[in-house]
Amino acid sequence: MFVKVGSIIAAVLAWLGLSFLFPETILPGPFQTTMVLAENFANGEIFQHLFATLGRVLGGLALAMAIGIPVGVIMGVNRFAEKTLDIWVMVALTVPSLCYAIFAFIWIGLNETAAIVAIGLTSAPSIAINLWEGVKNIDTRLFKMAKVFNASRWVIIRRVLFPQVLPYIMASLRFGLGIVWKITVLVELLGRPDGVGFELFYWYQLADMQQVLAWTLLFTIVMLFIELVILQNMERKLFSWRPKVKI
Amino acid sequence: MDKGISIKGLVKEYPGHRQGERGHRVLNGLDLSIADNEFVCILGPSGCGKSTLLNTLSGLDNDYSGEVSFGGRPVGRNGKPPVKMGYLFQDPRLLPWLTAERNVDFVLENSDVPKARWAEIKNHYFALTGLEAFRHHYPHELSGGMAQRLSLVRALAIEPDVLFMDEPFSGLDELTARRMRVDLLDIWSRTGKTILFITHNSYEATFLADRVVVLSQGNIREEIRVEVPRPRDYDDPALFDISKQVSANFIAAAEEAERARLEQQAG
Repeated sequence: MFVKVGSIIAAVLAWLGLSFLFPETILPGPFQTTMVLAENFANGEIFQHLFATLGRVLGGLALAMAIGIPVGVIMGVNRFAEKTLDIWVMVALTVPSLCYAIFAFIWIGLNETAAIVAIGLTSAPSIAINLWEGVKNIDTRLFKMAKVFNASRWVIIRRVLFPQVLPYIMASLRFGLGIVWKITVLVELLGRPDGVGFELFYWYQLADMQQVLAWTLLFTIVMLFIELVILQNMERKLFSWRPKVKI
Repeated sequence: MDKGISIKGLVKEYPGHRQGERGHRVLNGLDLSIADNEFVCILGPSGCGKSTLLNTLSGLDNDYSGEVSFGGRPVGRNGKPPVKMGYLFQDPRLLPWLTAERNVDFVLENSDVPKARWAEIKNHYFALTGLEAFRHHYPHELSGGMAQRLSLVRALAIEPDVLFMDEPFSGLDELTARRMRVDLLDIWSRTGKTILFITHNSYEATFLADRVVVLSQGNIREEIRVEVPRPRDYDDPALFDISKQVSANFIAAAEEAERARLEQQAG
């Protein structure tokens, strides 16, 4: 904890130092950026954009998990599915996210559905790959154990398979979130009239670096909060049975 | 109720890899009967069919021919024995996300032991195996010996008629293994079960068993009765003498297996 706080202070100081070397229009310092952020909060519009973006992040993530988890699990347990699908998952992974966004906006229209479809499709392949690898690591000897002790197929799925898959689902949730929010801002820039990505692009066009940095800072803090506070605590509760690994 | 096991003409064959290739017979018409409450150890070199025998008896594998019956009742369509069976694997095979006690609950939930008796059964076996203080520990917090003891608790908790044990102490250090062998005999003498115990260790087999069966090439090479009264002393010289005879058979079986392997390679 101490080390983490120290490194954050060091990073802010480095930012401050660098900002003296450049004009304000190129790299504003932490104070100016925070002031701009505070003004944005004060005039209230910030929440509309932030919630629009968070909504798309959640919608896109839900869609990505809904596609990625079943595909990954099926590929992990069935060799035929693995052989048929692995090339397509690779193809889907290779297509640039910008292409998904363009296809979605052209085919579905400039609306919320298209944005979420674009976000979901871009991140689904990564989630599928994550789970596919995970399911392959499942300890099948435990199924044999459950079988000799008379467990039914349903009990084996629920009590022996699922707890083994759950850590990979959680890992892919965190991992997916990291991808999804990066794509969301891109999609917003391209085809939405609000959201953090829209704001970033707007201020970029006005060459207002103070606003660009203020929005970047806000978004990063919100996402780190979700990742470090909410998801990590959830994992800690779910996987308290695991040996503690000191990092 | 009779808990004996009768095996007649058991054949298990794995198909050849290529077309026209002869399959590999792991069990070759094995006949064996095990009496009610008898403790039988099966000894043999790798590949002699020991593990296959347990897999077929326990219903994990029902693709075999021959007759298997428990207490005179044949194995059902699903391959499951018509008696209650407990199983100890070479590794503890505990569910790592459940505490020691919950691991035992897991098998109790799938058994016909009434819930009212769970607490009493668990208290009894946790105390007997010295795991009382570790009921709420997760498997990774237990030593190898404790984990295997817990899997013994798990196997006993469902009050099995038949206990299958697949080299359960081979992964433990000698002192722990020795204690577990003594404890096992103690528990067996008090509860009465038919036990089929597979091992690579001829002294372990001799110390534990009423009868040691040495397998070779998927059939019985020799049966040796251990006529040493119980309770037995681990260092009884009479056991050593019998164990020498078991060893000699075991080594001969291993040589036969090696010869067969070379002959097969030569075509």
